[in-house]
Amino acid sequence: MKTKESYPSLARYWRVFLVQVKNNFVREAVYRTNFLTMMIVDLIWLGIEYTLFAIIYANTPTLAGWTQPQVFFFLGVFFSSDALFTTLFQRNFWNFSDLVNKGDLDILLTKPVHPLFLALTRWMNLTAVFNLFLGLGILIRYADEAGFAGGSRWFLVPLWLLIGVLAALLLRFAFSIWIFWTDRSWALSRLYYQFFAFATKPDSLYPKVIRYTILTALPFGFIGSVPARALLRGISFSECVGITAVLATFALINGVLWKKGLRRYQSASS
Amino acid sequence: MNLNLKWRWAALKNGFQDATAYRLEFLFEVLGSALVPAAIQWVLWYAMFKVGGATEVAGMTYADLLQYTWISLMFTQIRGGDHDFELQEMIRSGGLSTYLLRPCGVVEFVWLRGVAPKLFIAGVGLVVGMIIGTAYGLSPVHLAVGMIFAVLGNIIHYQLSASLASVAFWWEEGYSLLMVKNMLVSLLSGELLPLTLFPKNWQWVWENTPFYLFVFAPVQIAQGKWSASQITSHLGIACFWLVIGWSLIRMSWGLGIRRYQSLGG
Amino acid sequence: MTLDQTPQSKPIIQVRNVRRSFRSPKKEEGLKGTLKLLVKPEVQEHEALKGVSFDIEAGSFIGLIGANGAGKTTLLKILSGLIPPTSGEAVVLGQDPFKRSMNFRHSIALVMGQKAQLWWDLPAVDAFELLKAIYDIPEDTYRERLNTLAELLDVKRLLNTQIRRLSLGERMKMELIGALIHWPKVIFLDEPTIGLDVLAAHKLREFLREFNRREKATIILTSHNMDDIERLCSRVLIIKQGQLIFDGEPKKLKQSDECQLRVRLVETPSIEELTPLLGLSPTAIAFTGADSDSPTKADDEDTEARSIRMSLRRNQITSTLQSLMSKYTLVDMAIEEQSLEKVIQRLYESES
Repeated sequence: MKTKESYPSLARYWRVFLVQVKNNFVREAVYRTNFLTMMIVDLIWLGIEYTLFAIIYANTPTLAGWTQPQVFFFLGVFFSSDALFTTLFQRNFWNFSDLVNKGDLDILLTKPVHPLFLALTRWMNLTAVFNLFLGLGILIRYADEAGFAGGSRWFLVPLWLLIGVLAALLLRFAFSIWIFWTDRSWALSRLYYQFFAFATKPDSLYPKVIRYTILTALPFGFIGSVPARALLRGISFSECVGITAVLATFALINGVLWKKGLRRYQSASS
Repeated sequence: MNLNLKWRWAALKNGFQDATAYRLEFLFEVLGSALVPAAIQWVLWYAMFKVGGATEVAGMTYADLLQYTWISLMFTQIRGGDHDFELQEMIRSGGLSTYLLRPCGVVEFVWLRGVAPKLFIAGVGLVVGMIIGTAYGLSPVHLAVGMIFAVLGNIIHYQLSASLASVAFWWEEGYSLLMVKNMLVSLLSGELLPLTLFPKNWQWVWENTPFYLFVFAPVQIAQGKWSASQITSHLGIACFWLVIGWSLIRMSWGLGIRRYQSLGG
Repeated sequence: MTLDQTPQSKPIIQVRNVRRSFRSPKKEEGLKGTLKLLVKPEVQEHEALKGVSFDIEAGSFIGLIGANGAGKTTLLKILSGLIPPTSGEAVVLGQDPFKRSMNFRHSIALVMGQKAQLWWDLPAVDAFELLKAIYDIPEDTYRERLNTLAELLDVKRLLNTQIRRLSLGERMKMELIGALIHWPKVIFLDEPTIGLDVLAAHKLREFLREFNRREKATIILTSHNMDDIERLCSRVLIIKQGQLIFDGEPKKLKQSDECQLRVRLVETPSIEELTPLLGLSPTAIAFTGADSDSPTKADDEDTEARSIRMSLRRNQITSTLQSLMSKYTLVDMAIEEQSLEKVIQRLYESES
């Protein structure tokens, strides 16, 4: 065997990722209608959120200092970030319980790359890329009216979208990992989607307690609202540190839970 | 007749036990599905009035809107829309076959199973609502009539869902249709905001769908905003939709099952 | 550390007094139970392996057998590094498998007959592409190996077919290609022929034997199918209730003085009459039809054609025949070699 390095290189991870993308593409080409309808469902969901705000703005000129174009700009950011998450990760979490309950983890553990990497890149939903384009379209359409400075700031858009996806990934993982301890972890997944509703509005709207919660303990605000706010109004250095600290803490907790869960899996298995 | 009641009662009981087998989770789910949407509504009103400084929106004050939100909590729990996924899954996976062999209507069976915990919540919600409501000047009679509307709404909702689910006989993607329907329901039933907030030229949208009967109508009745004659006329509309729903089910499931069996389901 | 550096004399797998008890949490229902589980877990201990020791030489083909729940899969999981032993030591390829070092992972393969690792929605060749990336196999090596394996298994024309459209046997062949594409030195196979028809199982066996012979890969196989074991393995390990009860050539199992006496009598007596007469246990006696092996019921009309098979020791033959002839008239008799299946069945059953 030529490969003597103790850890697989980043290049190898990248190649594995590319093959996963290619394979998902092949699979989706076979099941076209399935993903087309998924996309349409997402579009209607966006339409409903859009209508909701349209109704509210028909009754009031601003909401907690947010004008209608600004809220639509937020919706564009939020929808893009969510579409990116759907494209890359969402479906893996639907199948997460199989890892433990059906023992799919066994085979993954024998492979020479991180088992979580394999588990989280297996299923993609590449058709949702169109939703990403739609989200970006909305974002661009309302950028001017919302008062987005533009120029070099456009380079910050992908960065903030990635932060949004990272936050969603860490949160979704934290709600799924309990599969090692309970076979009814779908109850927690449901809870995730209920909390997710808080991500669908700009965080400045919320009263202090909720706002504080969705920016710290349950950072649903990082998915769309903080990125949109940062793009529109800029962000202070201390807030940057805070965001980094929260995400790092979540990553750490997830890491510990994964290790503990794995140990439990290994001690309970016969 | 006696026998027929027996399986219906068993289905109700089974549905209730199934939903409440894990009591703490049941409680979490009820509270979660009630409180999160309410919190979001409250946030919007808060932002409009307290932060934005509005005094009246579409003829409603901050207090009016809050009252609407709290009362709607009670009825949102009853509106259903979750157990209909079971129907389309049955058709898609072929699990329907075992039900067809049983001497009971599968559409009704699934409804009874799903509605059982909802009826329980309706009962508890009504009692709690009456106790708290009287302190805020709500009439217990109005609340009870509102709840009757909510239960009628549940039936209409299920009828429409079951007809939509029957699409699964022909098309793999019945699931998405139900998702879309649920999103429309969330907007047009009045669980996200009072339908009177719709701009004037949009009002016809909700007025011509049955969805407002699920949450908006019960809240209006509970708040005593509708006169007896208005209630009667909306009851008429509800009955109209019940008949439509019933015939839709007869038609779609009649055709669907014939197709299912001809394919050797 | 790789095999090449290991002195030839050193076994590739060493297992010393390995025990494995696993704790299954006593979980109460619901979220409350789950919360309690997190705070103060109550556990039940089960012993799956009770001190097992053996060595395996590189390049050998080992059969691992035992009844359900005897501890076979547990042993395979320990050897492939999925779970640690509770006590004792397992060394595979000169290292602790549970550390799952990268070069250990590159050198082993685990195939579970009941679990598929390949994607169902894809043609096999696409699924192998992924494994190629995971194991970082150079393109030309990959082509060459895929070619060799597909030829040996005779599935070249199926490589571009969606896996879900393949038959169970073809699918298993693809699973094997997927498991071997990185050319592992040690291969663990858990019930590879489960659910396969006779022909498919035969083809798979041929392949495994060939791969073992050509590549000198060490193969450890568990199976319920005695054919698998008898035709492939140079050595058999039998596990019973967590303990190793036999370790040796499959031939040796049969060489023990077990044999089978088959007789036909004018009147076939009932089993209740025979057991006290012959002093044999009821499980050692079987009634069969004249030509087929299918056991027939006592009320079968064709009584005369039925024969009685008895499993016994060679030195019991004379006395058994004498007792039989003292009461019944013998039509026909034969002494046959005991089948491996019967021998092992008796091993399972004997003194629990």
